Amino acid sequence: MARLLKLNVFRYNPQDPKSVPHLQTYVLDETDNMTMFIALNRVREEQDPGLQFDFCCRAGICGSCAMVINGRPSLACHTKTKDLPDEITLLPLPVFKLIGDLSVDTGVWFRAMYDKVESWIHTRKEFDPKALEERMDNAVAEQIYELERCIECGCCVAACGTARLRDDFMGAAALNRVARFVVDPRDTRTDKEYFEIIGNDTGIFGCMGLLACEDVCPKDLPLQNQLGYLRRKMGITALKSLFSRK
Amino acid sequence: MSSILAMHVAQPSRRDAYLDWLQMLSGAALVLFMWSHMILVSSVIIGPGAMNAIAGFFERTYMAQIGGPLVFAAFLFHFVLAARKVPFRAEKQGVAWAHAKMMHHRDTWLWIVQVVTAMVILIMGAIHMWVVLTSLPISAEKSAARIQGGWWLLFYLVLLPMVELHVSIGFYRIGVKWGVIKADARSGAKKAENILFGVFMVIGLVTLVRFMFLAI
Ligand code: HEM
Ligand code: SF4
Ligand code: SF4
Ligand code: FES
Repeated sequence: MARLLKLNVFRYNPQDPKSVPHLQTYVLDETDNMTMFIALNRVREEQDPGLQFDFCCRAGICGSCAMVINGRPSLACHTKTKDLPDEITLLPLPVFKLIGDLSVDTGVWFRAMYDKVESWIHTRKEFDPKALEERMDNAVAEQIYELERCIECGCCVAACGTARLRDDFMGAAALNRVARFVVDPRDTRTDKEYFEIIGNDTGIFGCMGLLACEDVCPKDLPLQNQLGYLRRKMGITALKSLFSRK
Repeated sequence: MSSILAMHVAQPSRRDAYLDWLQMLSGAALVLFMWSHMILVSSVIIGPGAMNAIAGFFERTYMAQIGGPLVFAAFLFHFVLAARKVPFRAEKQGVAWAHAKMMHHRDTWLWIVQVVTAMVILIMGAIHMWVVLTSLPISAEKSAARIQGGWWLLFYLVLLPMVELHVSIGFYRIGVKWGVIKADARSGAKKAENILFGVFMVIGLVTLVRFMFLAI
């Protein structure tokens, strides 16, 4: 006997002055292997063509379907309804700008973040198009790849108490980005240069270690370990300059 | 001059890093103190003689007279540093509360517990230290008299769990923030945190009971 799911969905259109934020309830019969992504598409097709939410890849790759599902920021396409109770509440991710209903703009946030952490390889080496590509140690390449897997869904930022308390906090995704360049031997930035980006309360020292980021990341990025690593590294960088300069 | 410039153009600074170190170190120092404190006070379980001997040692070496106020200073210092992270405005408190309720996430709740216990400790801990340090020397009989009076028993029954919660959560959080506790050790560390809380609660309660029944 299939369950009837009760979806309480956040509805609000910031463009429309008459729109009032509210929860709208939809009832839907559950099917085999149903994900939140399938459920929402059926609601849109069968009950309410005006419902706004984002998706693209439906396979946990593009990061666009993140929303708050029964309190937890997660990917709609990654969440099976069979793991949820009969009543499911869907909210848009906090922190990010609301476009409408469940749809938020994570792009602007991530773009600004990449500018801030200068998310590109910094090097003065002249590029020689004819030379063979420089080899990289396999273990290092794997370590970089592990941190590159972030799909920019924004779940870790929406789950972060610090990010909700202060708008200027960089969030785990940004700090993880920095950690990715720290391990990359092609990036010649020194610890001191990284310190200038993240060595303050908008960066690593603002993190209060609540570890919601680690617990919600749908791609299981090793955020806890990276945050700990960066705090130690940046803390030691500060102490070193205490003894070296002047 | 440099401060005038820095007011208008943010300069890279090491301030937040130093403050974070000091917050962690002051917290860790207070945790160590609380453990030694527990050894002193719970020695009354063995007998008032044991507690008086330890207290007498601190008195003779002037560690009570000098160390006491120093601990008080460290306590206030830690408060000032940690308060940087506490939402004091009603609006932010509302955000923090709504966030914790939304998330159903243990570590997020633990942080709320840490902030609330901190405020209780700030007030009750200050009262406690004031009372003890203004009536030196410390003795088992004096403490027992206070506790048998009734109101102080109630006072300690509130303060004890607050301190033990704050200490065990703080100890765990230092571990995860500084990467001493890695991801694979986290569930073990949580268990250790609970055991720590449980053991110190039991010692603390047994100590209070012992004071209740100490002949003065
Ligand atoms: C017996 C007294 C106390 C002990 C043993 C103690 C211990 C600790 C420890 C070990 C930490 C973790 C440090 C860190 O995360 O870097 C901590 C954090 C904290 N303490 Fe205390 N503390 C005490 C009193 C207080 C008081 C009076 C306050 C008053 C405001 C306070 C407020 C806080 C706060 C808000 C945090 C969290 C800081 C953060 O989230 O980064 N503590 N404490
Ligand atoms: S560990 Fe740090 S970055 Fe992660 S959720 Fe907590 S405060 Fe945010
Ligand atoms: S770190 Fe994880 S939760 Fe955060 S944006 Fe990347 S994939 Fe999403
Ligand atoms: S639709 Fe792409 S991650 Fe869910």
